[in-house]
Amino acid sequence: MYSNQYDGGGGGGSSSLFSGGGFMPSQATQTPESGFSKSRGVQTLLPLTVKQIREAYQSSDDKSNFVIDGVEAAAARLLGRVVNKVERVTDVSFALDDGTGRIDVHRWVQDTSETNEMAAIQNGMYVVVGGSLKGFQGKNHLVAYSVRPVIDFNELTHHFIECIHVHLENTRQKVQVVASMGSTTPFINDQKGYQTSIPNQFSTNPPMAAGPETDIRDLVLNVFQEPSSLAREHGLHVDEVVRRLGLPGDKIRDAVDYHVDVGNIYSTIDEYHYKSACNG
Amino acid sequence: MDTSTPAVFVNADVLKMYLGRRVRSVVQVMGSEGGTITGQSTDGHQLTIKGAQSFPLSHFIEVIGIADGNQSIRAEICTDFGENFDTQAYNGLCQLANGKYKNLFL
Repeated sequence: MYSNQYDGGGGGGSSSLFSGGGFMPSQATQTPESGFSKSRGVQTLLPLTVKQIREAYQSSDDKSNFVIDGVEAAAARLLGRVVNKVERVTDVSFALDDGTGRIDVHRWVQDTSETNEMAAIQNGMYVVVGGSLKGFQGKNHLVAYSVRPVIDFNELTHHFIECIHVHLENTRQKVQVVASMGSTTPFINDQKGYQTSIPNQFSTNPPMAAGPETDIRDLVLNVFQEPSSLAREHGLHVDEVVRRLGLPGDKIRDAVDYHVDVGNIYSTIDEYHYKSACNG
Repeated sequence: MDTSTPAVFVNADVLKMYLGRRVRSVVQVMGSEGGTITGQSTDGHQLTIKGAQSFPLSHFIEVIGIADGNQSIRAEICTDFGENFDTQAYNGLCQLANGKYKNLFL
């Protein structure tokens, strides 16, 4: 099932290998595949604040699904203080206060390692909780599968900055897809998401990165990655790209040079013909 | 789920905007006397923390409490964040959480 996705090899192929990991929503959530891999895609942990969850809960009609910034948020990672911890035989519950609000957390304990893990969690401690969001009987809560004490408190700063970063990433990707009128395939979106996320990762001011320059580069790359362009042995002449987009030739040339430098496209028969490095 | 009493991320600069409200801030302990701590905020100003237990000098502490003055917080909860804390990153977070991305927090 994955083989056709990875057959491409080269830079494009390997980027999709990495996109599923970590906290970024992977393309797998949008690819219609078998039930198992779909649910696994949905399970990517999304760093969230309680405030975001409450807003998603209030605005959704279906109280068992959470969609935040256009991404199904079945699994979430939260960071906050433990309050009102209650231990029972089969489960431990507490409220997590992350400063933006409080949410109920349940952790089912089945074996001694899980019991020990939860015994170490005390009221007032800062913890990182990973779990799935559930709506039940008009209330929503988090069923945790991991509760870990925070040891280095820089993690607190990091978590909330990450919430902002992922929010930004998810809202921006949606804009890109709409702007390209859905003409791009999921694979191309995937690759763009990966590339744009890297330079922004540690930037304190991510909106700056999406300037007009980036837009032209995206447009140019889209032309090269259309199926008709991929099918042509010698690729596209730069003048053809200029005609297609109706933008100044020097701007297009700059974008082409950029994509050659980063390895998205390569020259074929002469210095005017280029082809996408992605396999058609 | 209850989001009625959030604690806003603040530095000394933002603190003034939330008088009487619940805030959270990180300060580096510079001195303490009779339940009042003097600390340096992440943007380099002096803040007074009332009603706090004592903490070791130069440790970073997080204070959650009510902003009761332009440079003062009445503490409800204090947590020792240790000696290693990136004040610059936290200060940036205070600005983001009160600026463009306020809707994720408040």
